[in-house]
Amino acid sequence: MFRSVLQLRSGRGLLIRGLGTHRGGSTLDWDEKVSEIKKKIKSILPGEASTPLYDTSHLPPEHSDVVIVGGGVLGLSVAFWLKKLQKKGDGIRVLVVERDHTYSKASTVLSVGGIRQQFSLPENVQLSLFSVDFLRNINEYLAVVDSPPVDLQFNPSGYLLLASEKSASTLENRVKMQRQEGAKVCLMSPEQLQNKFPWMNTKGVALASYGFITSSNRMVTSSGEEVVLKRIYEVHVKMNNSLEYQPVECAIVINAAGAWSGQIAELAGIGKGPPGTLQGTKLPVEPRKRYVYVWHCPQGPGLEMPFVANTNGVYFRREGLGNNYLGGCSPTEEEEPDSTNLDVDHNFFQDRVWPHLAERVPAFQSLKVRNAWAGYYDYNTFDQNGVVGPHPLVVNMYFATGFSGHGLQHAPAVGRAVAEMVLDGHFQTINMSPFLFSRFHLGEKFQEDNIF
Amino acid sequence: MLKIVIPTMLLAPLMWFSKPSMIWINPSVHSLLISLIVLFTLNRPTNTDLIFSLAFFTDPLSSPLLILTAWLLPLMIMASQSHLTHEPLIRKKLYILMLISLQSFLIMTFSATELIMFYILFEATLIPTLIIITRWGNQAERLNAGLYFLFYTLVGSLPLLVALIYIQKSTGSLNFIISLYQSPNLSMSWTNDILWLACMMAFMVKMPLYGLHLWLPKAHVEAPIAGSMVLAAILLKLGGYGMIRISTFLHPITCNMAYPFIMLSLWGMIMTSSICLRQTDLKSLIAYSSVSHMALVIVAIMIQTPWSFMGATALMIAHGLTSSMLFCLANTNYERIHSRTMTLARGLQSILPLMATWWVLATLTNLALPPSINLIGELFIIMASFTWSNITIILTGLNMLITALYSLYMLIMTQRGKFTYHTLNISPSFTRENTLMFLHIFPLIILSTNPTIILGQLY
Repeated sequence: MFRSVLQLRSGRGLLIRGLGTHRGGSTLDWDEKVSEIKKKIKSILPGEASTPLYDTSHLPPEHSDVVIVGGGVLGLSVAFWLKKLQKKGDGIRVLVVERDHTYSKASTVLSVGGIRQQFSLPENVQLSLFSVDFLRNINEYLAVVDSPPVDLQFNPSGYLLLASEKSASTLENRVKMQRQEGAKVCLMSPEQLQNKFPWMNTKGVALASYGFITSSNRMVTSSGEEVVLKRIYEVHVKMNNSLEYQPVECAIVINAAGAWSGQIAELAGIGKGPPGTLQGTKLPVEPRKRYVYVWHCPQGPGLEMPFVANTNGVYFRREGLGNNYLGGCSPTEEEEPDSTNLDVDHNFFQDRVWPHLAERVPAFQSLKVRNAWAGYYDYNTFDQNGVVGPHPLVVNMYFATGFSGHGLQHAPAVGRAVAEMVLDGHFQTINMSPFLFSRFHLGEKFQEDNIF
Repeated sequence: MLKIVIPTMLLAPLMWFSKPSMIWINPSVHSLLISLIVLFTLNRPTNTDLIFSLAFFTDPLSSPLLILTAWLLPLMIMASQSHLTHEPLIRKKLYILMLISLQSFLIMTFSATELIMFYILFEATLIPTLIIITRWGNQAERLNAGLYFLFYTLVGSLPLLVALIYIQKSTGSLNFIISLYQSPNLSMSWTNDILWLACMMAFMVKMPLYGLHLWLPKAHVEAPIAGSMVLAAILLKLGGYGMIRISTFLHPITCNMAYPFIMLSLWGMIMTSSICLRQTDLKSLIAYSSVSHMALVIVAIMIQTPWSFMGATALMIAHGLTSSMLFCLANTNYERIHSRTMTLARGLQSILPLMATWWVLATLTNLALPPSINLIGELFIIMASFTWSNITIILTGLNMLITALYSLYMLIMTQRGKFTYHTLNISPSFTRENTLMFLHIFPLIILSTNPTIILGQLY
């Protein structure tokens, strides 16, 4: 009872106070002084970490077993699985460090939010399968007692990949592989397409693979224990420094920094060496800007519309029930936009996206762009596929990044793989050894072609 | 005795005025020499020509503890060398000064004749330990740990001061040698029961007794390596030694008053062993195993039969060496991986096989494998408690089983299994670390050949 009273009062006191005004005693008023004393008493009670000299509750702890750099969906997924797979209760102390509380530039919140199983590599298909299963049963994993169930706005509407004549045979082979892995995919001819989706213009489509997908663009994690979000300043291999220079002594660092993973890796000294050697191999992940446009079309396709990926890389999906649609296109290498800011180029829509939209779905000839934003892909320039696992030289840095636009889809599965690597020493459920960092040095590409 | 006390005190100026490159070597080597001198105090009962003074003496109970104390100082200095490398010179010197002053207080404590002098030095040992824990510990929780450690012990020992002054007034002398010729024969009254409690509580807290043991996991875990070593090896034994010494003044009352404490210790023994099975923090596991072993010692001292006293002294020496070695091993892990969690440092046998040997030896002695002196201590105590009451064999037997379980669990978790990727580039074992482990296990093995010297007065 005493403790709950303290919590109530100190919470209010925290809101009023700023950061670190403990020196100016005369400027604090009575309530704040009382709440500060109560906080000090609370910190001496058994069980609380206390530093009676000065208030450090706003700083991360001085020690943590695992520090995860990056608080996006991959970082939080790794944190969740680390705590879930630990063998004894309260075993591993995990610190998630995120520099931007508002997630204004994070790829997680700016993504289109589609999840598919049609990939060209079997491992990717397995990752997607597990992630879909996780999201479907998300309340088994993430539900918190006494609060409403987690709602992801999970829309299982299907993912339609269209292939023209020249890419039809690869599509067929891939579908075979995907079905071997257990994905629910089917091939459709143009006539079947026309029957199923009358609003579509099937000119130029030789084959379509219709797979099972979900679409969700709101991921809510509420795993609770030991997750602290803090801005960091510098990352060494074994120590972290924050804005107030709080060195966090840690045993493992997990690089889940998304588009900025390359910079984090450079801070850790990855890539500083003569080129061609393992030491000189940089982490080839860089931010690439992609645009997403939202438009409204009153006569557009309805509820049965899947996430359509066109033959030339334009993709779009339905959003909500009011005839709104989301979509975009990956620019080619030559017209790669400048990734220093997140400004949207509306001409890109006019020139590159709209004509193909209009061609594929005749109803889209008249549409009105409501909104647009830009987000980063953590683009892996080597083979556009994720980097997972430890670095051969910097032995306590693990990567979980570089997924080039399909990170959100694979996040639960990759999180579990990294947690298994940390806790058990090897990947147990899905063999992610092709995703290791060493392939950059050996030059073996693990190319994923089905990305947009 | 002065030939031991004065060199120990003079280690301080020796270290302080040494060249910066010699501040580690000088105290280590010289304290090793001092420990060789202390070996001479291992007296045979017929030879009393080493007892000259009225202030200091040794007898077969205190001399093994003295030797342990003297032996441990060079080991502590060796163990602290690496974690202090980045500190400025003055702080290194201060650290070693704390260790040396603690050592001189401890030597004087174990060789004190007068109980008041024992009490003063008993309290004085708290101060350097507190400074070591709170200033040089690793985490923010060390301040809390220091607070717990200080206040638990102080509150426990304040009644002891009052009791000692009362006994001095009523019997005229608190000298051990003289008390052998006195028979206190206190009457069984409530006042004398409270007197008994007042005398014993300080040592119960120090041992620690199960209900008063909260300070121990905190202090052991947060202390730096030398602090953990001295806490586990010596300071806990101060409690045992004090209890044995003061029980001569409290003679007939112990027969009744001891009963609840024996029960509490037997139960606490099993409880803390079981807690060890669930620990994830390596140092915390070793700290709780210390509580479990010391609970056996409390049972022995409370029962007060010749066999149990022999077992108590043997177990104190054996546990001192074993616990200190385990803490050193845990520290070698911590220095490489910077985390005390057991699951993060696995499979070390394939990377550091020699260190694995030391781990195996330490674990085997911790679970009281024959013919180590750990076994002798535990066996004597278990036999004595069986004669006191047949049913205790269930509890003590269960404790030996659980001790074996958690010791082997610790060994398998850290040594066996597939190693983790982030242990790939840990530095190999230093010669200093190997020397440290050898110097811990060597006395244990040698003592197994002649354990009579540590069996105390009643052998």
